[in-house]
Amino acid sequence: MHMADALLAPAVAATMYVASGAATGISINKIRKEDDSKKIPTMAVTAALVFAGQMINYTIPGTGSSGHMCGGMLLSALLGPEAGFLSMVVILAIQCLFFADGGLMALGANCWNMAFYGCFVGYYLIWKPIMRSKWFGGMEKKAAARLKIMIASILGCVLTLQLGAFSVVLETTLSGITELPFKAFLLLMQPIHLAIGLVEGLVTSAVLLFVFESRPELLGEVDCDNLGLTQKRSLKTTLVILAVVVALVGGGLSLFASSNPDGLEWALFGNAEAGYSENMGLDEDDFGIKSDAADKAEEIQEGIAILPDYGFKDSDSAAGTTVSGLVGSAAVAVFTLLLCMLGRFFKHRKAK
Amino acid sequence: MIRFDHVSIEYEKGKRVLDDISFEIRDGESVGLIGANGAGKSTVMKSLLGLIPHEGSITVDGLEVYKENLSQVRKKLGLVLQNSDNQMFMPTVLEDIMFGLLNYGMSREEAEKKADGILSKLGLEDLKYRHNHKLSGGEKRMAAIATVLAMEPDAVLMDEPTSALDPYNRRIIIDTIRGMNITKIITSHDLDMIMDTCSRVILLSGGRVAADGDADVILRDKELLESKRLELPLSLQTR
Amino acid sequence: MIMTCFVLLYTGMEKIDAAVAELREMDDLAALESPVHSLHPLAKLLTTFIYIFVTVSFDKYDLSGLIVMLVYPVLMFQASGIKMSTCFYKLRIVLPLVCAVGLFNPFFDKAPMLSIGALTVSGGVISMITLMMKGVFSLMASFIFVSTTSLDAICAALRKIHIPSVIVTLLLLTFRYVTVMMEEVSVMTTAYMLRAPGQKGINYKAWGSFLGQLLLRSMDRSEELYSSMLLRGFNGEFSYADVPKGRLADWLFTIAASVLFFVFRYVNVAELLGNIIMRG
Repeated sequence: MHMADALLAPAVAATMYVASGAATGISINKIRKEDDSKKIPTMAVTAALVFAGQMINYTIPGTGSSGHMCGGMLLSALLGPEAGFLSMVVILAIQCLFFADGGLMALGANCWNMAFYGCFVGYYLIWKPIMRSKWFGGMEKKAAARLKIMIASILGCVLTLQLGAFSVVLETTLSGITELPFKAFLLLMQPIHLAIGLVEGLVTSAVLLFVFESRPELLGEVDCDNLGLTQKRSLKTTLVILAVVVALVGGGLSLFASSNPDGLEWALFGNAEAGYSENMGLDEDDFGIKSDAADKAEEIQEGIAILPDYGFKDSDSAAGTTVSGLVGSAAVAVFTLLLCMLGRFFKHRKAK
Repeated sequence: MIRFDHVSIEYEKGKRVLDDISFEIRDGESVGLIGANGAGKSTVMKSLLGLIPHEGSITVDGLEVYKENLSQVRKKLGLVLQNSDNQMFMPTVLEDIMFGLLNYGMSREEAEKKADGILSKLGLEDLKYRHNHKLSGGEKRMAAIATVLAMEPDAVLMDEPTSALDPYNRRIIIDTIRGMNITKIITSHDLDMIMDTCSRVILLSGGRVAADGDADVILRDKELLESKRLELPLSLQTR
Repeated sequence: MIMTCFVLLYTGMEKIDAAVAELREMDDLAALESPVHSLHPLAKLLTTFIYIFVTVSFDKYDLSGLIVMLVYPVLMFQASGIKMSTCFYKLRIVLPLVCAVGLFNPFFDKAPMLSIGALTVSGGVISMITLMMKGVFSLMASFIFVSTTSLDAICAALRKIHIPSVIVTLLLLTFRYVTVMMEEVSVMTTAYMLRAPGQKGINYKAWGSFLGQLLLRSMDRSEELYSSMLLRGFNGEFSYADVPKGRLADWLFTIAASVLFFVFRYVNVAELLGNIIMRG
């Protein structure tokens, strides 16, 4: 969702700088008031971790798209919304400065789209009310907290990503950059970010649940004293619940370390990249439809496919993937050949 | 200068990590703190720095390790962590050495002069402007020691100073430790290094002091060491 | 199967390791010496901002006006001795999105704008090209800034313009630990992949524990970090490297460059030049 400088008119970029600057100012004030000198190192290390964690992409099967964990919800649940926001700002600044991911002038807009919604809206409108609510009152306290964490993170990620995507569309359109009608652009962006938000929500909830099981005191708005934390039985239950949700959402989503373009690019490019779905190891027409032919095809594909998505270093292009596919096949051929020879070699030895 | 008087620590109720520990370390002494994993070595270190609450009394130079005294106590102590990355948080070695000095109100020129002094004393002049994330393991450890020594602490705590170093760098660290004329507390599983650097050894086991005495005696006591899940230093092992 | 394993390792770590390499490369570039490197960081930052501001403010059909803006980054690259090709490596991130947004323009904006002989170029095509150029130009400008200025200098400059110390300190510390954390993620991915051959990635059952473990460990790490800061007298305030006072030349550079940018913005130098050549 990182916007480049070229996508924004100066006036829009400046407005977003002011907005994000105000949010930053408020956050800094809050942190200063807390006057906890331990907060800064904790924020820095956590931010660095989220930065590294974002490098793992979560591919959504069937779309060829992938979203990275944005981290806003995660950071604000762990550090509080203000500290979370500042950490996100720093992450975005480093991405912008050293990786050209998002422009220098677009930093204000990027902070707003990705950090503000995730941290402030996500925390105050979703995380806090849900964690404080009396939902699932009939259940055992810990199980209820677990469910609340799940719902809050999934709902939070979906909502904040929708808001972010909407803002990207709004900002680009206001800047007069694209001739694409607002409505069409919106229709391209929102659904894709719905899927990304769901995946991000699942990942975020999985991480937060893990933290909840091991160190609940780290999470904001979780009432540790009333949980009776001595009992430790139901990581399994959680996993089952999680599994059900996962099944509902995507029919067995799994996480790939992938090099797919992220959702914004996908929304704009569509699935136009030739051979993309094949390279993903997914047959789009057959996806989700169980037929003998599809099963068979899948079997064959599994048999011969080396690995779905790898290209030459840093080449995401279809060409790169095909070339690497060829090279990979050749390598496997050589390798199997070597294996065959090795097998014979051993036989000879034994025979001696 | 450092006194532990009937110190006990519990992380969770009923689970004592340190159980009624008492010892005293005199000025200028080099003490090896040894024991199996989970014996309580790092807890001793942490409690000394006032990072975890304790029962009993811990004093540094007569100062009780307690909230009001913490900044004074900490001023007297230096800590070299096992993972140097965790203590080298500034961009360059120079900035890192100067960090503490500036915090204690030294001017920039003074601090840099001091940093130069400590770097040349340790033979690390080349590292001055290097970036911390580009140092090798051995360089990082030496630089970390420099940052601590620059503060001129009365006592240095070192957590596994020779772990994950090659023999050459390990030797450099050992020589450096031997050259430091201050109170030293060193925890390590590298008993050969303890032998080379410490005159006294405190052996911890299950949160209690199992033995306290001359390094030469304890580190040669095969039965004692093995009963506490340790072994004789390699150089003393005969096949 | 061993092969699959290997390939998995490669893809799993590639991204992270490439990023670490990229960071180190930027670091090396910033350590070089040149007239551009020695410019005051604040002067450079300001000039870069003004450049990008002016560049993106060009009208979407003003192709000839915009093209002149290329002069600044090219000159800077030449003066700094940094190869332009190192920067185009980063275009892979900027361009796809910019192109994608621009690609729709030719379809929606078909009004003819320019005809060269029989060839008619629509407004959409021109606005698409200017958009891409804006993307490339602003990338070049920010790249030249970052690759000739170390992060410490940037932070010192930020403090000079009164960006609050909380955020600058955070930036400095986070950057310090980014490489450390990336290495940890990389190692963990390797360890996971080696024990899960044939899996395309991390199973959803391990989603939480994978990142969660790291998270808890990093909390312990920050604890250690904090204690070692306390031991060196940390009281919540950081002191920064002194930035040398800006020389007159630094500010002259910023002023001259900015004036030039605005001249380029309001006077179509390319057209002027064209006219002169045509007349001559």
